[in-house]
Amino acid sequence: MSKITVPIGPQHPLLKEPLAFSLTLEGEHVIESAMRLGYVHRGLERLSQERTYVQNVHLFERVCGICSHIHSTTFCQGVEALSGLEVPPRGLYLRALLCELERIHSHLLWLGVQARNIGFDTIFMYAWRDREIILDIMEDLSGGRVSHAVNIIGGVRIDLTPEHRDVILGQLDTLETQIEALLGVVENESSFQGRTRNIGTLSLEQIRRYCVVGPVARASGLDMDLRRDMPYPPYDQLKFRVPVRYEGDAWARTLVRMLEMVESVHLCRQILTTLPDGPTSARAKRRVPPGEVVSRAEAPRGEVIYYIRSDGSDKPARVKVRTPTLTNLITLPDQLQNISMADVSVVISGVDLCIACADR
Amino acid sequence: MLLKLLVFPGFLFLFVCALFFDWVDRRMIARFQGRVGPPWYQPVADFIKLLAKEDILPTGANPLTAAALPMISLAAVLTAGLYIPFGTISTASFEGDLIVVLFLLSLPALAYFLAGWISVGVYSVLGGSRALLQYFSYEVPFLMALAGPAILSGSWSIAHIVDYQGQTIWIALMQPLGFVLAIIGLIGKLKRDPLDIPKAKSEVVAGSLTEFSGRKLALWHLTMNMQTVVGIFLLVNLFLGQSSVFGTIPAFLSFSLKSVGILLLLSTASALYARLRIDQLATLGWRVLAPLALVQILVATWIGG
Amino acid sequence: MASPLRSLAYLLPQIWRALKQGPRTVKYPFGPAELPEGYRGRVVIREENCRGCNMCVRDCPAFALELERNGRDAYRLIYHPERCAYCGQCELSCNFDAIYLSNEFVPGEPDRADLSVVLVNKEGKEDTSA
Repeated sequence: MSKITVPIGPQHPLLKEPLAFSLTLEGEHVIESAMRLGYVHRGLERLSQERTYVQNVHLFERVCGICSHIHSTTFCQGVEALSGLEVPPRGLYLRALLCELERIHSHLLWLGVQARNIGFDTIFMYAWRDREIILDIMEDLSGGRVSHAVNIIGGVRIDLTPEHRDVILGQLDTLETQIEALLGVVENESSFQGRTRNIGTLSLEQIRRYCVVGPVARASGLDMDLRRDMPYPPYDQLKFRVPVRYEGDAWARTLVRMLEMVESVHLCRQILTTLPDGPTSARAKRRVPPGEVVSRAEAPRGEVIYYIRSDGSDKPARVKVRTPTLTNLITLPDQLQNISMADVSVVISGVDLCIACADR
Repeated sequence: MLLKLLVFPGFLFLFVCALFFDWVDRRMIARFQGRVGPPWYQPVADFIKLLAKEDILPTGANPLTAAALPMISLAAVLTAGLYIPFGTISTASFEGDLIVVLFLLSLPALAYFLAGWISVGVYSVLGGSRALLQYFSYEVPFLMALAGPAILSGSWSIAHIVDYQGQTIWIALMQPLGFVLAIIGLIGKLKRDPLDIPKAKSEVVAGSLTEFSGRKLALWHLTMNMQTVVGIFLLVNLFLGQSSVFGTIPAFLSFSLKSVGILLLLSTASALYARLRIDQLATLGWRVLAPLALVQILVATWIGG
Repeated sequence: MASPLRSLAYLLPQIWRALKQGPRTVKYPFGPAELPEGYRGRVVIREENCRGCNMCVRDCPAFALELERNGRDAYRLIYHPERCAYCGQCELSCNFDAIYLSNEFVPGEPDRADLSVVLVNKEGKEDTSA
C-alpha cells in the first residue's frame, strides 16, 4: 500500500485553534506523525514586562478564552503573596465560585466539541444549549460571558446579594438536571462508546514519564488534584470528591470530565450557602516589594503554574506561565501511533487542547 | 409524453421535490437539536448561489472528466426516477424495471468515487476510497432486502408490486425485517448521518467533493438531493404501496404523506446516532445485515412460492 | 457495551423535550438584544465629576483612553472603542465616580476614525489676571 501524507491544520474543521499536524497514512492507519505549534503566539510574557501589575491582571486574563478567570486568579494570587496581602474570605469564596463555574463551562464546551468530532451533532447542540445556562449565570455575576474581569489585586470587584444568590441556586438546579441527563446518554449510548472506547490509551507509566496533568492523568489512574493535595484557600475549607478512572482511553476521559462537572455543581452550592460576610477586597499598593513567587492553581485542563519575579517597581521583571496543555500535547505522538484515520479526531480532541494557552 | 418527461412526474417535479425534501430534512434535524432551522427558500438559494460561484479545479485534475461525472450521475438518477410511479401516475414501466432502477441508482456511488480519485487532493482520495468501501458494505443487504417484495409479488415490475399491495396489505407489514434493512441501506446509499463516513467533516473535510466548486458542485448537491427523493419514492412503492385501507384518500395525497413519513424517519435516525467508523460499518454490513437479508429472502420465498 | 436499542431509551426523551421546548436560539439581529444591567458595554462619563486626574488613562490595559491637556482646566479626554477591552478597570480606578461602563452594545463602523469619541471637552476659564 502506498503512503500518503495528510496535513491536519493549521486550519481544519476538527481543530478549535490552529495547530499543524502532518500524518503519514498507509491505507487507513497512521504510521508517523509530526506536530508544529506556535501559530497563536502573541508574546504575552514579554508584553507583561511593559505594563503595570494593575494592567497585567487584565492582560493575563486573555491568555486563554475558556480558562480566563483561572489565569488571572493565579496571577493575583502570586502578586498578593509577594505583597503580603491578606484577601478577605468573602473575596476568596467568590473567586472560587467563578473558578468552578468556569470549570463546568469548559467541560460542557469540550463535550460538545468531542461529540461533533465523532459525528454526533445532537449531543453537541444539547451540550452547548446547556452551556448557555452557565453563561447567563456568569453574565449576571460579572458582566461578561467569557471574559469576566472579576479579579483585582487584593480580591474581587463584584458582590452578591441574597436574592441574586437564590436565583443562582435555582439555575444550578436546572443545570444539574441537564448534566445528569447528558451523563445518562453518554454512559449508555452505544455508538458514542463504540467510537471512544480503547482509543488513545495511555498507561500510568506513560503519564508519569510525560508529567501529564489534569483530567487526562486522572483518567489513567493518577489520583492527583491540586485543589485537594495542595489546597489554596478557600479549597481547604470545602469538601469534594475527585473522580478517577483507570481505563485511560478517550471514554474514561469523557467520564472523568462529566463527573467533575457534577462535583463542581456541588462545590458551587457549598460556596453559595456558606459564603462568609465581610469585604470583598483589600487595598493593594501599586509597587510590589522585590522577590519571586511560584503560584499554582487547578485549571479545567490541569495544573497551571505562574512564576513572578518583581524588582520593587510597579512593573513585573519576569512572568513565566506554564499551562497544562503544553504537557498534555507531548503525549499526542504516542497516542497517534497505529490508529485509524477516523480515530484521529477523537484522540486530538480528547486531550482537550487549548492552543492559545500553550502558545501564549 | 414529453410533458410527462419534463414536468410531471419527470424532471421539474423531481427538482421541486428534491429541494422540498432537503428543506424538510434540515428543518426537522434542527428542531430535534433545539435550533430554528433554515427558511423554506434555503435550498433554492443555495443552488442559485452555487451556480454563480467561480469554478476552479486543482492542477492535475482532468477538467473534462470532472465536468462529465456530475452530469452522468444526475442523468442516471433522473432516468431511474422515470420508472418509479408517483401514486398511480407513472411515466414508463415494463417488466424488470426494478432491476434497471437498482442498477442506475448504483451509478452515482461509482461516480462519487471517481470524482474523488481524479481531484488530486489528499482528502478527496481518502473520501473516495471510503465511499467505495461503504458501497461494498451496504449494497448487498440493500439489494437483497429490495428483492423481497419482488419475490413475494412474483414480478420484477414496480407497478405490478404496487398493484399486488393494493390487493393485500403493505409489504412492510408482511416483511418488517426487509423494511428495516432497506431503510438502513438507504441511509448508507444517501451518505447520511450515521453513515456519512465518506464526507465526515471532522476527518476528511468534505470527502470526494472537497475540490469541486461552482456549477459542478451545484450539480453534485442536486444529484444527492434527487437520490434522496428517488430512493424514498422507491421504498414507498415497494413497501408501503397502494393499499385498500387508504382507498378513500386520493393516491396523490397518501403517497406524499408516506414519503414525508419516511423522510422524518430518516431525519430521526440522523439525529440519534454518532457516525460509525468504516471498519465498524463493514462488520455491521457483512456480519449482521447480510445474513438477516438472506433470512428475509428465504422467508419471502417460503411465503410467496 | 450497550445495545443500540437500549441507547434509544436515553436519547429519545431528550429529543422529545427539545421538540416541546422549541428553539433555544436568540433572535438577535432580527430581534432586540437583551442585555443584563451589569453588562460591560460602552464607556461613558459624567462630565461634571471629571477632574482630568489621568488615573483612568494610566490604568487602561489596552491604551484606549487619551488625555490632551492645554492648561489646568482645559483638557480633552478621547476614548477609542476599537482598542477598548471592556474590562472596567477605568471605572475601578476613578476616584471621583466620573467614568463608568454602560450596558450599551457597541456596534461597528466602516471607518475606524468614526469610532473615536471625545468624552470630555473642557475649555477652561479665560485668564483674567492683570
